[in-house]
Amino acid sequence: MSTEAGAARRGLSMLLLVLLCMAAASRPGEAAEPRELILAIYSVPKEAYERSIIPSFQRYWRQRTGQEVRIRASYGASGAQARAIIGGFEADVAALSVEGDVEQIVKAAAISHDWRQTPHNGMVAASVVALGVRKGNPKGIKTWEDLARPGIQVLYPNPKTSGGAMWDIIAIYGAGLKQAERNASGKKVDQTAAAETAAGLLKRIQRNVKVMDKSGRESVTTFERGVGDVIVTYENELLPRIKSGRPYDIIVPAETVWIENPAAVIDRNADRHKVRDVAEAFVAFLHDKEAQTAFLNAGFRPIDQSQMTNARDRPAQLFTIHDLGGWDLVSAKLFGPKGLWTTAVEELARGK
Amino acid sequence: MNSRALTVLALRATAVGYVVCLILLPLVVLGHQAFLNGVGQFLDDITLPQAWSALVLTIEMALIATALNAVFGTLSAIVLVRYQFPGKWFLNSLVDLPFAIPTLVAGLMIAAIYGPTSFVGAWVERSAITILYEQPGIAFAMAFVTMPFTIRALQPVLMELEPEQEEAAYTLGAGPWTTFWKVTVPSVLPGLLTGVFLAFVRALGEFGSIVIVAGNIPMKTQVASVYVYGEIESYNPRGATSVSIAVLIVSFLALLLLERMTRPPGERFFITAARAESRTP
Repeated sequence: MSTEAGAARRGLSMLLLVLLCMAAASRPGEAAEPRELILAIYSVPKEAYERSIIPSFQRYWRQRTGQEVRIRASYGASGAQARAIIGGFEADVAALSVEGDVEQIVKAAAISHDWRQTPHNGMVAASVVALGVRKGNPKGIKTWEDLARPGIQVLYPNPKTSGGAMWDIIAIYGAGLKQAERNASGKKVDQTAAAETAAGLLKRIQRNVKVMDKSGRESVTTFERGVGDVIVTYENELLPRIKSGRPYDIIVPAETVWIENPAAVIDRNADRHKVRDVAEAFVAFLHDKEAQTAFLNAGFRPIDQSQMTNARDRPAQLFTIHDLGGWDLVSAKLFGPKGLWTTAVEELARGK
Repeated sequence: MNSRALTVLALRATAVGYVVCLILLPLVVLGHQAFLNGVGQFLDDITLPQAWSALVLTIEMALIATALNAVFGTLSAIVLVRYQFPGKWFLNSLVDLPFAIPTLVAGLMIAAIYGPTSFVGAWVERSAITILYEQPGIAFAMAFVTMPFTIRALQPVLMELEPEQEEAAYTLGAGPWTTFWKVTVPSVLPGLLTGVFLAFVRALGEFGSIVIVAGNIPMKTQVASVYVYGEIESYNPRGATSVSIAVLIVSFLALLLLERMTRPPGERFFITAARAESRTP
């Protein structure tokens, strides 16, 4: 795998991979050959999987069973992978960016087991929402409130198409709630008043949003094209690019959301391909130290912070989606037809 | 039945079958899905604030792009047909390029030219006009991808137009402007209309270049096709289908209107009416 191939080439090779997988999957009578595992992975951790997780799993499986396992991985937007699997894509294991996408596959009955029955509730990697600013932070951005300052141009993708953008907006909303808590200085916070403060922050930041791309990756491309003062995205999206010399800095706000990415065996396909043992071993392998270190090196945070001695510092006021009431509640509250984000966008358009 | 009749029948069946399979069937299925929950639901879907404003923005931007192409396309076609100059062959072959390159690439090209890091982009930004990520960018992208329609539809009719007609107008004392409006334009009108309407309809559905060039902010710079994409991505196929059908209805109405306006003279409804009106002083 080439490391720094152009986006177009990456897209093409991805397409080829998908086609290859589909072609391979539709060829009958291959069960006796070397074992084969098909993975559907969201695009962000591609490097971690290609460079270290997949090769080391193959080594591990050879040592354990003496069998060769051929792995075909396709990479694409999390939602698109979920829809492809629902539509018949023959992946045995899915590693996606949000649990909502796994739940959609469960709804379509392609996953029939309780996928959360693993050491970390079905989650294999973690990250936080962070801010990318131009080198040297010329606009002096430190907190979420700075993003709402007049004249600051903000980038995050569209939450309708990007799971990453949902996390970004959830981070802003949660930070707004924390702000309300702080303003109350120890006194009991009124729920509706806190939600109002959060909605206000969200709206003031949304007003400064210049471009909403389809995906987090595209948003980074736009930022690198010179647009915007600050980009809101996954920490693991920014770290590897900064490491490779891109001229920007990363800022982890004190209040931010803890993000976890799930992986699960697709029962329907794993059983049909008779690879359930390999598929389950692969998902278990993702929880192990070796895979966790690979995720850490790729800019993720290990799912179990206590396991890692070299993990990055925890943000002071980290919150999880469960602190905010769980994925279903939050996504309805923010992105539903009457959601806070939806309303903010509509009010801004009407000039309110 | 003789073999000739059979051949005719087979040909006709192939043509009809081709159109039915490629266009009609998918349309019927899409329409069926959109109206599965009744017309009321369809109307609710398309009148959601974000959907409605995406539709309105799309139509507005497509109209602007079409107007741009009608004016500059006509001028370009006239220049390409009437005048000889070095490099004309090259210019002529450039015209088709927007059809040949993927619209996504077209978007990248526009973004590269007008991006803040480029020379042109920096200059444009200083002059306080924003093209990229704002509404002008959308119209610009639409105009780019639909540019060949007007030019290519006009060129053959312009070539057929005999210079004698215009010369006669000059002889009768008409100035160049009057001649252009009273002789040239009416003669090439069917070609011009075809080009303009096709450009409009094509602009309505443009996605690839706009998604890169526009800011895609809902109710500000988000067009219908990008809205549709967002609804598909957020597991709302019904909303996506409804808005798609709304765009389709607009396109279809435009094409019906075109068909009416470009019929042979005897049946040319709107135009004969319009001309009759313009003749009465």
